[in-house]
Amino acid sequence: MKIDIQKISEGDEKIILRYRILTPQIKKIIEILEGETSDFGNKADPGVDVKLWGKMDSEVVCVNPRDLLYLESVDDKLFAYTGDSVLKIDGSLNSFMTDMNDESFFRCSKSMVINVNRVKALKSMSSNRIDATMEGGEHIIISRRYASAFRRLLKGER
Amino acid sequence: MKDKKKLTLWELYLTKEIGIEFKACLYFFAFLFYYCCYKMFNGIFDASIIHMTELIFTCYIIGYLQVYLLWNFDEADSLGAKEIAGMVICTALHVIVSYVGSWFDKNIGVSIGFAAYILFTYICVFFIYKSKRRIDDKKLNEDLKLFQTQHKKSE
Repeated sequence: MKIDIQKISEGDEKIILRYRILTPQIKKIIEILEGETSDFGNKADPGVDVKLWGKMDSEVVCVNPRDLLYLESVDDKLFAYTGDSVLKIDGSLNSFMTDMNDESFFRCSKSMVINVNRVKALKSMSSNRIDATMEGGEHIIISRRYASAFRRLLKGER
Repeated sequence: MKDKKKLTLWELYLTKEIGIEFKACLYFFAFLFYYCCYKMFNGIFDASIIHMTELIFTCYIIGYLQVYLLWNFDEADSLGAKEIAGMVICTALHVIVSYVGSWFDKNIGVSIGFAAYILFTYICVFFIYKSKRRIDDKKLNEDLKLFQTQHKKSE
């Protein structure tokens, strides 16, 4: 893809995006641009939701991060699980955590991130581990390495 | 960038070591009680320093075995076959050391009683840890609900 950036001294600023296929990257760019305009008040929806783009059966779909139950990294591929679907998303768990910058998402092990707002119940386990039951019924173990940070997060001490 | 929020390997190791220290002290005092009762029933009001030293060393060594090899059975989530096997192995080791060290003057009956007492102690400790976790469950779920309520408000 060619990138043509021009600095202008007069006239209106304009961004033209030309694409053949609406790829997740293009969608992300559009989303960023739309976010920018709403921040400046050009769109009447300042509270526009952040969307997460991913692939499901070779189809590009978009979900609200709030709908995610958890994310799992398997063989350097990142999968996001909602109650009824699994999306393959670009990037890594670290980049997801940095991009989201939302304390609802908690790194509970080396390969998993859970959405704390979608946890149904917690169970204290031996060796200071915690069993989190998600709204979908899945059991995710918060390893003892991350358990104390999780306890602090719940108490608002993070 | 290093994540300062998660525990380091050193901290994890230290947590385990403290756990073993705690276990050694707990079981030492529990078994010392049995030993003192035996001595008192025999009209002796002094405890042997050698026996006490052997007892604390045994508790330490068996504590390591318990944590690293025998599935840390007293802190297990449920009492299954391997946990019971762990209890029996540790009990047998304690009784063998007590017999060899003549803690109970090689009295078979008292040694059998000691084995029963050790097993009873292990089972009690298992249930104590279990109820501790049950209380912890309640706290965790209360904190979770509070966290979720606060987040729903701020959204």
